[in-house]
Amino acid sequence: MDPKIEVRELNVWYGNHHVLKDLSIKIPERRVLAIIGPSGCGKSTLLMTLNRMIELIEGARVEGRCLLDGVDIYNPGIPLTELRRRVGMVFQKPNPLPKSIYENVAYGPKVHGVKDRRKLDEIVENCLKVVGLWDEVKDRLNKSAFELSVGQQQRLCIARALAVKPEVLLMDEPCSALDPMNTRIIEKLICSLGRELTVVVVTHNIQQAARVSDFTAFIYLGRLVEYGPTDRLFESPVNRLTRDYISGEFG
Amino acid sequence: MRRVGEKLIPVLLSTPVAVLILCLLWIVVSIGGEGIQALNWSLLTSSVLEGGIFESIVGTLYMLGGAVALATPLGVATAVYLVEYAAESRLNHLIIQAVNNLAGVPSIIFGLFGYAFFCRFLGLGVSLLSGWLTLVCMILPIIVSGSVEAISMVPTSFREAALALGAPKWRVVKDVVLPAAAPGLATSVILGVGRVAGETAAILFTSSVYLMRGLPSTVLEPVMTLTYHLFVLLVATPGGMTGKPFAMALLLLGLVVSLNVLAYIIRVYYRRRW
Repeated sequence: MDPKIEVRELNVWYGNHHVLKDLSIKIPERRVLAIIGPSGCGKSTLLMTLNRMIELIEGARVEGRCLLDGVDIYNPGIPLTELRRRVGMVFQKPNPLPKSIYENVAYGPKVHGVKDRRKLDEIVENCLKVVGLWDEVKDRLNKSAFELSVGQQQRLCIARALAVKPEVLLMDEPCSALDPMNTRIIEKLICSLGRELTVVVVTHNIQQAARVSDFTAFIYLGRLVEYGPTDRLFESPVNRLTRDYISGEFG
Repeated sequence: MRRVGEKLIPVLLSTPVAVLILCLLWIVVSIGGEGIQALNWSLLTSSVLEGGIFESIVGTLYMLGGAVALATPLGVATAVYLVEYAAESRLNHLIIQAVNNLAGVPSIIFGLFGYAFFCRFLGLGVSLLSGWLTLVCMILPIIVSGSVEAISMVPTSFREAALALGAPKWRVVKDVVLPAAAPGLATSVILGVGRVAGETAAILFTSSVYLMRGLPSTVLEPVMTLTYHLFVLLVATPGGMTGKPFAMALLLLGLVVSLNVLAYIIRVYYRRRW
């Protein structure tokens, strides 16, 4: 099967700081890929290169190729708005827009041209149901999103990302700010989303990677150290660095 | 000794505060006391030709309304450009600094510039339009610097959230940044109006006349305003000032104070909803 995303010899610099070094990885379609590694190893940077959010960072420079369905996303002919519709993102800290719960989910579809109110209602309801938020918020859809708890806000952000029907969902430590209950809900959600779309989740919680992912990539100091099916990587890591990291000897 | 010193310091420091409050009270009482007696409905609604101030009141509203209508879009657009589009650079900082400095230029200089440039060079004459443009020059720095601050305060995470959904930059600005900054933008506009509401020098040569029949019917006609009207009354009648000037002063004071209070209310009411 062709990979959904193929990264070839990716190099990223922040100013003079060489963050990602000759990184190549093939990300399979409709699976969950967990990216693990110690803080500052470049996990989040890798994620941000996949929807070009890295271009918002001043002084960032990207070299190499990132193919989405075989087409380089850094090709100047690729419209950025369409790329980001296809490759959605959930951030580490929940970041609802300063709008109502309804508007948060409806904003993406509206931007991409959905005008019909009934259609929007349907999208909002479906996406909120997927993240298990519908029953909690259906009576206060017009209330500000900031009235929700942090965990609910993060699920709202996932619903918002799903509302534009992405093919890939990038998640940057989506549970690091959450309580155990919401973490559990979101982990389950990641597992089920992995059947519908390609999910790439960055985490420094090793157990979480083991629980939610089909494949795991271990990155250390900007290089891809080991990559394989999650079961295999956790049971019999080939590289000594991987073994030390997942057994908690550093990180 | 040290005890006494510590007790003395608050007393010493509070004296200027007391003096300040007394001055303010004195202004309000002395103007308000005389003004309120002279203020009545027929003064407000009868023409200047019959000893009223109707044209001056409406003229003042014309001046302010037009200046705000022109300055707001210009000022906000400038701020959006400086914060959202212009690359972070020395030039950018220099521009913002220059704009801030412009806010401190004495108004008579704006008046002189307005007369030389708008009235003479552009040939707009002494007119409502010349006055508007002159006031725009005065208000702009206030709106721009206030708006730059309001827009910069909008958290980056809002922009990232919308951009990551595939929203183009201009929609992020329109749908997310500007609504979030709206209270701050409104405050800066009101403070801008407050600055020029009592302005005399800037419109002295550019748009005001002491007496005219009726209100201007085109923007190329001059206009009467409360401030200029008051100025002439004061100059023309040295010594025996009573009644009407105080009523006009009270109106102006009321206008400026209510604008500032309004700005304050907006600022408090919308304080950080996120």
